[in-house]
Amino acid sequence: MIAAPSFLERLDNLSDRLSPIVVKEVRQMVRGREFNYSFGLSLITGLTVAFFGAAGTWTGYRSGAWTVGWQIGCLTVLGLIVIPLATMGALRSEKSERTFDLITLTTLSPRRIVIGKLTAQGVKLVTLFAGAAPFIATGFLLGGIDFVTIIVSLTGLFLLSLWACAACLFLSCLSTSRAVSGVIYAAVGLVFLFLIGPGGGILRLWMFGGPGFYAYGPPGMGLTGLSLTGSPGGGWWMFAIIASFCLMTIVNLVLLSENRLTLPTENRVTALRIGFFLQFLLIVAWVVLAVYLIPGPTPASSGIDGLGVVAGLQLAAVAVFTVTEDLLLSRRMVLQSKSSRLRWLMPVLGPGGAAGAIYVLVQMALLLGIGQAIAPSEMRWLTAICGYICFFTGVPVLAARVLAPRLQAKQVRVAALLFFPVVMLLADLVGYLASPGGFNFEYSRRHVLNPFRTLANWPVASQFHWDEFALAIGAIGFIVYLALIRMGWRANQEERNVPAVD
Amino acid sequence: MNSAMLEIQGLVRQFGDVRAVDNVSFSVARGEVLGFIGPNGAGKTTTMRILATLDLPQSGDARIGGFSVVDRPAEVRRITGFMPDYAGVYERTTVHEYLDFFARSHGLKGNERRAAVENIIDFMGIGELRNRQVHSLSKGLQQRVALGRAIVHNPQLLILDEPAANLDPRARIEFRTLIRELAADGKTVLLSSHILTELSEICDTVAIIEKGRILAKGTVADILTGVRRQRLLSLRVASRNNEAERFLLEQPGILKVFEANGSLHFEFDGDDDAQVVLISRLVNAGFPLLEFSARTAGLEDVFMKVTEGKVQ
Repeated sequence: MIAAPSFLERLDNLSDRLSPIVVKEVRQMVRGREFNYSFGLSLITGLTVAFFGAAGTWTGYRSGAWTVGWQIGCLTVLGLIVIPLATMGALRSEKSERTFDLITLTTLSPRRIVIGKLTAQGVKLVTLFAGAAPFIATGFLLGGIDFVTIIVSLTGLFLLSLWACAACLFLSCLSTSRAVSGVIYAAVGLVFLFLIGPGGGILRLWMFGGPGFYAYGPPGMGLTGLSLTGSPGGGWWMFAIIASFCLMTIVNLVLLSENRLTLPTENRVTALRIGFFLQFLLIVAWVVLAVYLIPGPTPASSGIDGLGVVAGLQLAAVAVFTVTEDLLLSRRMVLQSKSSRLRWLMPVLGPGGAAGAIYVLVQMALLLGIGQAIAPSEMRWLTAICGYICFFTGVPVLAARVLAPRLQAKQVRVAALLFFPVVMLLADLVGYLASPGGFNFEYSRRHVLNPFRTLANWPVASQFHWDEFALAIGAIGFIVYLALIRMGWRANQEERNVPAVD
Repeated sequence: MNSAMLEIQGLVRQFGDVRAVDNVSFSVARGEVLGFIGPNGAGKTTTMRILATLDLPQSGDARIGGFSVVDRPAEVRRITGFMPDYAGVYERTTVHEYLDFFARSHGLKGNERRAAVENIIDFMGIGELRNRQVHSLSKGLQQRVALGRAIVHNPQLLILDEPAANLDPRARIEFRTLIRELAADGKTVLLSSHILTELSEICDTVAIIEKGRILAKGTVADILTGVRRQRLLSLRVASRNNEAERFLLEQPGILKVFEANGSLHFEFDGDDDAQVVLISRLVNAGFPLLEFSARTAGLEDVFMKVTEGKVQ
């Protein structure tokens, strides 16, 4: 007869449904000082604030908003500073203690490891939020704040905290050295100082929305709630936009971390490319929704302008990292691509600089297609954006591949990043040398090489037909991309003939 | 059916201009214990990391249980246990939790996982340590736990990189016993070590690597036959030690003479008859001969003979 499993065994069996990383991290967490101190401190703060809030009601003041404001302020410090900073060491210590190799030898993939680590931070946050819940409920009972505001504020704060953890997790993949980590910590600290100081307004705007939101609580603590006044549903749309970008960027930060942790000889880019493509589609979707669905007048040309700037910046960043990838693929990469379920999409989403170039071109085609559908009058401007991206990322890469074929992707990336400011400065330098007396910074023909100035002064450029130069530069960039695609295709012809692994 | 558990063919791994692994090829049969020896920087760890799928060769391949380490890393990881030359332990984690974590990470669930962890704790004899923090254990005990971690998923091939390094003599003997038991259990073991006397007691075969190349592979006796025709002889005289050394060097077939612990050790290239002639010459020359013996060549002799002691 088989004995029935005990209660503890049942619980243990249930834990098999969780990632092993989560189980390990939570076990370590409950023995760690950082969590115990944070949790204890949040309980003491919660109790103190609730006490003073309750005391305030004796004078007839509805102190609920004040109480909840301070509770959420305390959670903000924990969720946006304490927990993310602790997360910064999560993967670095695995690498410096050399336990990461041991985990990768198991069935856990780098993605599952990163998701496990992030989920463990999520568990920490949930525990802290749950600990604060009774005190926040006290604030609600004290009156002066509605339930929806509390829930939305907590949800927003949780999402932002998770986002900060994902960002710190990614930062912790960047280096195993304590010195470099120290530099990253310092940089992050400076960013925080900026956000708390002069950037505080931006932070508050970003965290709790701009128009359509109103503030509760102590000054500067930033507790706000959604207002359903103003444009009908405007606050909710804002919340939806922020939440969707928050979730999308969390996914991409996880994929970026995965990319950093995977061996360079493996296909570590396909998932990342899908992630950034979805982010691109999200940008497009929100612009289309803003133009056609969201209440309030958003002219098509303004929508396309916004799309051009945001999608253009994303495409430029993506191009710097994809087109600069090595053209020659490892055998494992080729085999993984061949045996992938998405093998038919590998010419676009697969590893290597050639696929990277196709990937960027496909998104550009999509961007231009949407531009044509929504605002045909902006097509030349959008085409110029795409052309500049092709030129400034393609030309240095092609030059590096032809002149110094042994350069690594990292070095090619640096070359591409340097090429851009050098060309921009060159225009001014040549202008100054040609005519030192008449030199000024007004937009003129020589600035056609400067994409920011040309795109910002597009009407002037069009008026004097300088836009044709810009489009010619773009055409050169496009041809360079085609050359890179051809080079990549030829470089991997031999590996491509290896049969696929079933 | 191919009985080789591990087959390496033309493995090459280059770091910049240095060829850490240079066209390495050999195979290990199922249930065999192979000692992988070579000086520091010879390419042992790089080869082992490639076999453990932590690194990728520039060319060549290795098959473990028929699976290529290049093409099928996931399958290879399922049947391979790797113990690097460091313990790799976590803070704030007990021995039981540590093994439980790796059992979970290998996909073991429920009763199977619990049984696997308990078996390992029993096998490694660490029952009393199960609730101790793993990072607070001594080096020897951490190594023991690390070996447990490497075999928790019951792999067919065990790759152990310097498993006995930093261990005290007692821990070393215990470790050796564990490896023997694993081999008796049918596991194929590939292990590297600097302590050659130990390897010769554990291993069925050895592979000697230097400057990334395999110089010899086989049983110690086979390699000796291949590389050495000379006999290793020793003698002790009551007096005139220096004279005896000079006398030996003048005799035909004597290759190398050195003194250690009051005895003269030398390599002699000749058969039994030539050895009889040598002894009679020594006696006739009036040396007060106390002892004359033949020494059995060991792994150290093989290693010294085969390698040049150069690193890359």
